[in-house]
Amino acid sequence: VSAVAGTRQRLRDRAEHHLRAAAMEDLRARRPAGTVAPYRERGGLLWRRVFVPAYRRLPWEVKARAMHLLGMTAERSGWTPPARRPREPWRPPARR
Amino acid sequence: MSQRVVVIGGGGAGTAAATIAKRLDPGLRVTVFTEFEDIAYSPCGIPFVHGGEIPRFEDLFLSTVERYVADGLDMRMETVVTEIDLDRRVVTARNEHEGFDQLVIATGFTWEKPDVPGANLDGLHYVKNIRGAMAFDKLLDGVERVAVIGASPLGVEMAGNLAQRGLHVDFLDEGPWVLAEVLDPEVAQPVQESLERRGVTLRLGTRVEAFLDDGQGRVRAVATSAGELPCDVAIPCLSKLPNTALAAAAGLQVGTTGGLVVDERMRTGVDGVYAAGDAIEVPHGLTMLPVRGLTGSHAYAQGRTAAANIAGEDRVYDPVWIPWGLVGGDCTVGGFSIGETLATAMGIPYVLAEGVGVSRARYFPGAQRTHVKLLAEPGTLRLIGGQLHGGEGIKERADFLAFAAKRGATLEDLAWMENIYSPPIGALFEPIAIAAQNGLAQLRSAARGSAPAAPSSSPTGAART
Repeated sequence: VSAVAGTRQRLRDRAEHHLRAAAMEDLRARRPAGTVAPYRERGGLLWRRVFVPAYRRLPWEVKARAMHLLGMTAERSGWTPPARRPREPWRPPARR
Repeated sequence: MSQRVVVIGGGGAGTAAATIAKRLDPGLRVTVFTEFEDIAYSPCGIPFVHGGEIPRFEDLFLSTVERYVADGLDMRMETVVTEIDLDRRVVTARNEHEGFDQLVIATGFTWEKPDVPGANLDGLHYVKNIRGAMAFDKLLDGVERVAVIGASPLGVEMAGNLAQRGLHVDFLDEGPWVLAEVLDPEVAQPVQESLERRGVTLRLGTRVEAFLDDGQGRVRAVATSAGELPCDVAIPCLSKLPNTALAAAAGLQVGTTGGLVVDERMRTGVDGVYAAGDAIEVPHGLTMLPVRGLTGSHAYAQGRTAAANIAGEDRVYDPVWIPWGLVGGDCTVGGFSIGETLATAMGIPYVLAEGVGVSRARYFPGAQRTHVKLLAEPGTLRLIGGQLHGGEGIKERADFLAFAAKRGATLEDLAWMENIYSPPIGALFEPIAIAAQNGLAQLRSAARGSAPAAPSSSPTGAART
């Protein structure tokens, strides 16, 4: 595996690890039954204190667009995105 | 002259690619290389043989080498391919060269090994090869204490089955609940309770720091962040790592997950070279981000796709919505796409729709509660993920929901879905429809500014990012 590919793998792995860990803390706060405090590894301060809050601040549409533009999604490898059927946004039925 | 097809790997993807290519085009000369003695068995059944639910390992075999040979395949058993030369279009095995016109790389995965001292001691067992499992099963007859490391799907199955067998099982994981990478905490809770009822000792939030030597090169204990745990054997059940060394050495592209990059026809970047199964990455249908480490049915379908294209058809494999399910102790859990944990991690906004129904008519013996949790895109209410737990019918509902999401179904569609009512197999009210109706009721209440009707204690219907 080339150095560039290896670095991209490690970056994705670390980013996902810290985002998941932060999400688990959120979920645990909301629904604590049956959970324990996860093991907290040493290090990763930059990931936890800089990357995770910065990532969370961006709206999903911006993140999704950025991932596409950075070539992180599979269209570049010859995949077709699933067809999205345009629909009206859902609204509660009107009262009679 | 007939086309030569070489398949490297005898797992689900490799056997599917070989047998189906031959079936579609009998003129193909298909050669299969596998490093193992056996082929066409279900490794996913191994934990259940250890637990005694399946009587014999032999029951896991689906076919035989002789059958494949009779079907016209050239089977090279216990033969490791050591090199792929894409320029000369040959593979090397046992110092002999085999030419190919089309190649399928289905080299599968290896289990991640714990990166701690003592990881090479005897007594550490990885669940994969059926012969290894047969030998391990005999060893289990003489042991008392087992440490299962990693609350992955395999870890949950192994822990539950070994406890069922009567062994003392310590089940270790660093996470805050079992299956934390895929499952939400309230869905994991019944699995944990069921495992504990079977006698499994859960040790969550616990890191493995070393495997300790008994002085004769065999594991005697696991050193953890919570102290030392004696054990006779340890079973690491961590991540599945794609076996890409051979392909990467040949110059094929490896993606950000560590899996080989293929297109929707399972083609690598080299003409006539395909890859399929646990060695590759494929895009998730919701995000188009590559994922890997899916199920045996995904591997088989990818092998079929490669085979069809090799045989001259034009077959496309769709981005995946990943229906999944497993039995943890006596509880069945399942889902598709993403749950709340993953949606929160990725920052994908969602609304929730939750409900509880029954698997048969309420009065029919054996009826079980079915819990359904759906995630939908705010605004359109398109289905984007879900998780379920209960007893019967979880698998079928997860399959259905994944397909519904792939086709763009919304909470509104599910709330008004048709369903079978037949007392022994289905209740009047379908649990999926109940969940969707609850979600819509919550949204309706929120839109009117009134208090939610039901269930009042859940965040159902509330938009989250």
